[in-house]
Amino acid sequence: MSSHPVNGLDDVVHQRVRLGILTVAHEARQVEFGYLRTTLELTGGNLSQHLATLENAGLITITKGYEGKRPRTWVSLTKEGRRALRQEVAHLKRLIDQVEQRGTPD
Amino acid sequence: MTTEGGRTAREQLSLSRELARRVRREQRAAWFPLLVFGAITYLAIPVTRSGHAAGLVCRGDAVGGPPGVRVCVAHNSAAFVYWPIALIAAYVLIAFFYLRLSRARGIGTRVRPYVIAGLVLAVAVIAASIWASHRVLSGGYDLLGWHVQGPELYRVIAPACAIGLALLVLAAVDRSPALAAVAVVYLVIAVGRVDFGWAINQTSRWAFAPHLVIEGAVLLLSSAGFAAAQQWHRRATHYA
Repeated sequence: MSSHPVNGLDDVVHQRVRLGILTVAHEARQVEFGYLRTTLELTGGNLSQHLATLENAGLITITKGYEGKRPRTWVSLTKEGRRALRQEVAHLKRLIDQVEQRGTPD
Repeated sequence: MTTEGGRTAREQLSLSRELARRVRREQRAAWFPLLVFGAITYLAIPVTRSGHAAGLVCRGDAVGGPPGVRVCVAHNSAAFVYWPIALIAAYVLIAFFYLRLSRARGIGTRVRPYVIAGLVLAVAVIAASIWASHRVLSGGYDLLGWHVQGPELYRVIAPACAIGLALLVLAAVDRSPALAAVAVVYLVIAVGRVDFGWAINQTSRWAFAPHLVIEGAVLLLSSAGFAAAQQWHRRATHYA
C-alpha cells in the first residue's frame, strides 16, 4: 500500500457535507437536525441521506425524541466517528503539505 | 495527486475549520455568567451592610504581628452566610441557562467542566472561610508553592477569587482569549484589592463597599461588552 496521504482518505468522511456534519457534531458534542440543515444549507431529504450513510458506517448515532410537543432528532459522534474525523483532518494536512513541498503539478 | 487535489484538500480543511469556529461562537454565552456574578456582587453590598461583626477571635502572639499586641479578627455575619448560598445558586442558574440555550440553538454545550470547576471552587472557598473564621491568619503561609502573608490569604480565599478562577476555566472551555483577559484583570483587581484611590474610612460601616462596587462594575461592563459583541456578530452573520 502506498504511503501517499490520498490513500488514507475515507470516502465516507471525505465527502464535503459529511465532513461538515462530523465537524459540527464533534464541536457541539450533540447537534440537532435543524441546526445541521440550516448551517450546512441543505434540504431535509439531502441531510437525511448523508446522516444515514454516516450512521451505517458507525460514525454517528441518531437519537429521536420530543421536546414538549416538538419532535427532535439529535446527532452525536461515536468513538469511531471521532477517530475517523481526526484521521481525515490529519490526511488533509499531510496532503496539503506534500503538494506545497512539491510546488508544481504532478 | 495534483495541485488541484491540494486545493480541494485546502478547501475541505478550511470548511471544517470555519464550521468549528462557527459552532464555538454560537456555543458561547459568557455574558450570562458575568451578568450573574456582577449581580450577586452588587447584591452583596446591602447584605454586607446589614450584617455585624461576628465570631471574634484574638491572638496575642500573632506570628509577624507587632510584639505584645493582641490581633483580633471577626467576620461579617450576613456576608458569611450570603456568599456560599449566592455562589452555589449562581452556578446552578448558569448551568440551567446553558442547558436552555443548548436546546434552543440545537447544539450541545461544553459548560459542564465550568460548572463543576465553579462548584468545587465555591465549596473550597466556603470551607476555607469557615476554617479561617476560627483563627487569626498572620505571618507567612505556604500555599500551593507560593508564600503568602496572612492578610493576603484572606483575599485568596475570598469569593471574588472563586469567581475569577472559574471565569478562567470558562475561558479555557470556550477557547476565548477575550474572556481570559477579563478573568485576569478581574483577579488582579479582586486579589490585589485595587481601589483606584477610592477608599472609605475604615471606621465607616461602608468601608467594604468600594471593592465590591469596582469588582461588580468590571463584571457587569464585561458582560455588556460580550453581549454587544455577540449581537454584532450575529447581525453580521445574518446579513452576510
